[in-house]
Amino acid sequence: MEKQKLSVLVLAVVFGGMALFPPFLLSQYWLHVMIISLFYVMMASSWNLIAGYTGQVSFAHAAFAGIGAYASGILSVFFGLSPWLGIPIGSAVSALLGLAVGYLCIRMGGIYLSLTTLGFSEILRIIITNEDNWTRGTMGLQVPGLFAEYSKTSYYYLFLVVAILVLILLYRLIHSDLGLSFRAVLNDETAASSSGINTVRIRIIAFTISSAIAGLAGGLYGHYVMLISPDVPSLGQMFLVLAMAVIGGMGSFAGPIIGAFLLEILSEYIRIYGEYHVLFYGLVALTITRFAPDGLMAVAGKFSGKKRVGVETL
Amino acid sequence: MSHNNNPHFENSPILLKGEKVSKLFGGLVAVKEVDFHILQGEIVGLIGPNGAGKTTLFNLIGGLFHPSTGAIRFEGADITALKPVQICHKGIARTYQIVRPFLKMNCLENVLIGIIGRPQREKSKKKEEEEASEFLRFVGLGGKERVMSADLTLIDKKRLEMARALACGPRLLLLDEVMAGLNPTEINQALELVEIIRGQFKITLFWIEHVMGAIMKASNRIIVLDQGQKIMEGSPERVVADPRVIEAYLGENHAYGKGN
Amino acid sequence: MSEFLLYLINGIVIGVINAISAIGVSLIVGIMKVVNFAHGELFIFAGYFSYHLSQSLGLPPLVAMFVAVGLTFLVGLLMEWTLIRPTYGDDMRSLIITFILSIVLQNAALLIFGPYPLKPPALIGGATNLFGLFYYGNQRLISFFISLAVLFLIFYLLKRTWFGKAIRAISQDRQMASMIGIDHWKMNTFSFGLGAALAGVAGVIVAPIFPVTPSGSAAISLTAFVIVVLGGMGSLKGCIIGGLLLGLIENLGAAYISTMYRNIFAFIILILVLVIRPWGLFGQKA
Repeated sequence: MEKQKLSVLVLAVVFGGMALFPPFLLSQYWLHVMIISLFYVMMASSWNLIAGYTGQVSFAHAAFAGIGAYASGILSVFFGLSPWLGIPIGSAVSALLGLAVGYLCIRMGGIYLSLTTLGFSEILRIIITNEDNWTRGTMGLQVPGLFAEYSKTSYYYLFLVVAILVLILLYRLIHSDLGLSFRAVLNDETAASSSGINTVRIRIIAFTISSAIAGLAGGLYGHYVMLISPDVPSLGQMFLVLAMAVIGGMGSFAGPIIGAFLLEILSEYIRIYGEYHVLFYGLVALTITRFAPDGLMAVAGKFSGKKRVGVETL
Repeated sequence: MSHNNNPHFENSPILLKGEKVSKLFGGLVAVKEVDFHILQGEIVGLIGPNGAGKTTLFNLIGGLFHPSTGAIRFEGADITALKPVQICHKGIARTYQIVRPFLKMNCLENVLIGIIGRPQREKSKKKEEEEASEFLRFVGLGGKERVMSADLTLIDKKRLEMARALACGPRLLLLDEVMAGLNPTEINQALELVEIIRGQFKITLFWIEHVMGAIMKASNRIIVLDQGQKIMEGSPERVVADPRVIEAYLGENHAYGKGN
Repeated sequence: MSEFLLYLINGIVIGVINAISAIGVSLIVGIMKVVNFAHGELFIFAGYFSYHLSQSLGLPPLVAMFVAVGLTFLVGLLMEWTLIRPTYGDDMRSLIITFILSIVLQNAALLIFGPYPLKPPALIGGATNLFGLFYYGNQRLISFFISLAVLFLIFYLLKRTWFGKAIRAISQDRQMASMIGIDHWKMNTFSFGLGAALAGVAGVIVAPIFPVTPSGSAAISLTAFVIVVLGGMGSLKGCIIGGLLLGLIENLGAAYISTMYRNIFAFIILILVLVIRPWGLFGQKA
């Protein structure tokens, strides 16, 4: 079977399984882990869109999640807006800011873009920490949940459905003409430009979509844990997302998904010994970037001896 | 295959025109007040010793950077300050001295980019893929749709770049040293391809080359640059015999005028 | 008035120290086109080395400082040789690898050195009466003069020695430099080591004034980046002027505008420069 279709099938089985698998068989604890994993699946996959597919290493991704979370949170706490409306609005706010940042960075090469997004992320975190009238600063903003009666199962299905929709969106995008243009820009921006691709437009679109998804994921996360803190838009979170994409495999579709599940689940085991998972993931990510820059997906590909057949990046 | 039979170009419109184009990099003068013009339907060769400013001129036309002074016009419109993507949409495509296909994409995808990049697209995805396949077949890469461009031989990479450039639907094609690194058989194949491009696609060609035999055979007219300035222009026979050109090339190991 | 003078002097003192740190970043960016995200970690590692060398091994503070810088230099060499070198040419990959390295080192520092702020002993105690207006810490004054000395040394190194000329040649035109025989692999490794060492120098100078903690490293890296961007990549005097400017803006801004937002000034400057004038005050337009 063509490699691409095989990977899609595997993913479909995994997610289908997750959908049908009776959540009540899992303990509340592991349900939580699954929900958080799905959050990271959305974050890592959308970051991969700009970093893996268009070559823009942004450090503002966690910040966009934070914007979505805080926007929705503030709307619900201070204006009584239902999170079901607040979350999409938060996502839109993130998208707009993503558009702005993307536009700001168009004339910038890789390093400058990364530094700008880093600066943006830190500015946001500082503002959030200081404007505690709105955000309750480091204590965190307590926000209402999405369901009248708290039920992890409900959240599980919600996150699952949204994650699947997001992944379908990303998949269709990557396999569209736009996705092809993304990859051309990644390969060789000058040649792409001389071939008629509006690289500026491409990069901005990628940024906007990716930050919209981050905002959505952030909003969902916020109203799930019901406490939004400056930890969400932090560089620590940014690192985790980056590590997931890098370890799983940037520039492949399934890589970030696998990375997200793997790292989140593993971190639960590592937590038994202490808060070492960040260091551990850092070392793994370092090794991978040094020796196998295309991540675990590429390593797996080599073992099965399959030759890359092009349109896929899966 | 001599094209110096001079199909008359006097009545052809000017397709590309450069007026006193200069480019300075810091203190270095790369191109100095070069006037040039290309008539529709011509094949014009651009030659000169290394460092003469030929690729710089192409980069200026292609919008990769802009002239310090002077203007460039295409089909009457001023394209001096346009960006590469706009220049492509105007109808100018190019290949590169050091070939650069999209390495992590397969041949079909490479050509598709040219098609996707067109300002107007009406066809369905299927038709576009068929068209891309056609271009691949045309340059001799038929059947290699799914091969990663990184896995191609040098001449095939050049073919691919050619196909991608053609897919943009240009009226002017800038070729930068396509023959470099090719053996005599491949050179002849490339020459045939070039002629078909001119005849079948009705594309005008502006062409940098060091392989003298090839460019002399194929071109209607030659422009010679040396140290950023145009020192001569005319038919291949006159250029080859011109003392200024000979002088510029002294010290360069070229067996020009003798084929290769 | 004396308050203003105090902030001004603080700004200048920290400014020159940060300038040294910034040069460390600028050097590596100029030669290797690599932004060393792990810069701040090297800075604090040097501080920790300095602390332990004097506390645990009982070395005199000045000696401890030198040895600490030397160790940091070696760490830099090691880092380049094992991790950075293979990524040479791939901007995205080298960026990612130094970022990950930074996180790893941060966490390692937490594990190895513990979370508590540590201060190596001061070289000199007491305070001096400045301008008859207030007393200013002697350690800070000494740090200022040491920094000036270091800056002069760097200036001399870059302008007068062969090595310095080689550095300037490479950062201007890599091809040309290799054509005249400069071995750029060795230069890369050595320059990275030097950049690390400069981070270390700044670190050992600062540590007796502001104690080192593992969580402070990110801010240090970012400060250095802002200065390099502001001053202009590849410009030595840009780093110095940028460092002074930033030091003044932060201190005066924190005092007169808002203490809470003290750290935001650097980032605002960063973004403003990148958007309006990316080549900074004295950098070369690409």
